[in-house]
Amino acid sequence: MNLLVIFISAALINNFVLSQFLGICPFVGVSKKIDSAFSMGIAVTFVMVIAAMVTWLIYHLILVPFRLEILEYVAFILVIASLVQLVEMFIRKVSKPLYDALGIFLPLITTNCAILGLALNAVLNDYNITETLFYSIGAGLGFTLALVIMAGIREELELVDIPHSFRGAAITMVIAGSLALAFMGFAGLI
Amino acid sequence: MSNTAKIIIVLTAITLISGAVLALLDSYTRPKIESYRKIQENNAIAEVLPENDRIKEIVQDGYVFYEAYRKNELVGVAFQISGGGYQSELVLMLGVSPDFSRITGLKILSQVETPGLGTKIEKDESNKQDPGWFINQFKGLRTLPSITYVKNAAPSRETEIQAITGATVSSKAVVDILNTHIKKAKAARNIE
Amino acid sequence: MKQKTAIQEFLKGLWDENPVLVSLLGLCPTLAVTVSAINGLAMGLAATFVLLCSAFLVSLLRKVIPNQVRIASYIVIIATFVTIADRFLAAYTPDISKALGPFIPLIIVNCIILGRMEAFASKNGIGRSLLDALGMGAGFTLTLLVLSSIREILGSGTWFGMQLMWPSFAAWKVMVLPPGAFLTLGCMIAAANWINTRRRS
Repeated sequence: MNLLVIFISAALINNFVLSQFLGICPFVGVSKKIDSAFSMGIAVTFVMVIAAMVTWLIYHLILVPFRLEILEYVAFILVIASLVQLVEMFIRKVSKPLYDALGIFLPLITTNCAILGLALNAVLNDYNITETLFYSIGAGLGFTLALVIMAGIREELELVDIPHSFRGAAITMVIAGSLALAFMGFAGLI
Repeated sequence: MSNTAKIIIVLTAITLISGAVLALLDSYTRPKIESYRKIQENNAIAEVLPENDRIKEIVQDGYVFYEAYRKNELVGVAFQISGGGYQSELVLMLGVSPDFSRITGLKILSQVETPGLGTKIEKDESNKQDPGWFINQFKGLRTLPSITYVKNAAPSRETEIQAITGATVSSKAVVDILNTHIKKAKAARNIE
Repeated sequence: MKQKTAIQEFLKGLWDENPVLVSLLGLCPTLAVTVSAINGLAMGLAATFVLLCSAFLVSLLRKVIPNQVRIASYIVIIATFVTIADRFLAAYTPDISKALGPFIPLIIVNCIILGRMEAFASKNGIGRSLLDALGMGAGFTLTLLVLSSIREILGSGTWFGMQLMWPSFAAWKVMVLPPGAFLTLGCMIAAANWINTRRRS
């Protein structure tokens, strides 16, 4: 039961993008078309889950027993950077078209604060390994959801006359604000 | 020097220097951070316990109990409890009567809940007269059979408190943490 | 390309190449910590500290770090300075540390810092790199200050904790919540776009 709460909380109530402000850069950058938004979301979810598990293990099995908690940030970001590198090579081998579609945004997953934020939160909230698993899957899917909804809205906006100053990032922020307002309604879910 | 050798040397050097600098930083800051935490904890212990002339620390079954004595009579027990809130770990200091039937005080040590909503469990800015009204409700509260909460109405029983409107999850979390730990702590102290 | 003067190197970060409003970098902390002016200022200063120290080191070592490992090296350097900033805040200003919480470590992945290392500090001398870093940091901090001031004044009625609005002012709670952050930032970006379009015509 608790695992379900953690999952729903990470995906909807405390959505990483719309309520915790993590992963905004790809949110603004990749949310123009629904398919690329979805691909990005899944890629990020994939990296999130593995990164969360690996960093959890490193923190609880190496850093804490040896009183090396001060190395938390350096260790975590190096793990994430290496993981993204590996995922990049993996996707390139397995599906070249997907690799091309994601383009420059794949290496940029490294600086996606959502991943580092997720890893740090899992440690901060003192989750065990199973809770971390559900937490990261929920977070990734919630991120994907926000991205896809935003892409859907922006595709519609292509046909609309937006005031010149608001074109681009500004209108995206305003829409995000409305989405965030809507997602606040999830608070009563549990 | 071959490129590979250069790569290895530079990376190793940077990592080693980083490690050394951080180790030094750790030795300076860890004690300071720890002592601040201890001060906060001691202040909380004093706040949640009734008047006493000495406090004795005792470890029982995983709990660190701070027993308060007045003229060699046990008047209260304080201990730290924690659990999941809405979006953060809630850490509280709880003070109870010796038989755990009544709460003598409750203080929030750490929470990072939603600003303006969940954070009201610690300080409610919208209530000018009594910003700490939520947590103050617990003082004097009876704990048996269990603590409950009610929404949008005044409490009707001596084991009931009123939840914060718009922050039910955070309020409920506090109640759940209390019920869980009161039961466990009683077992640790062999109280029925 | 015309070489910029030292002053221009510094000033560009404040407006023309403002990291948040123009380059759209570092949006995560911009939205998250700007609930109150003091938090926005603290975050800006912490990020500027990391930016300056990292720029200094990266520029100093730019001819020594091999190309293949430059990103990894920058990351370790940045993460180290962020850990230093984080520990200092936790040890000497614990209340601010608690308020800024998880967003201090996120300075590591603040695209502004990695971006400046890659785009500037790795290709320029120490003096210019420091000026660039200072300008970008100042631009970031100023933007945070403006955004957090708007959110605090309208959302809590205070500024830096001091009561600013009249007592019966019904604060716009939404301003200190996520929707308010997005909306305000959106309007700020639009305002900057509008001003820049005007200047060009």
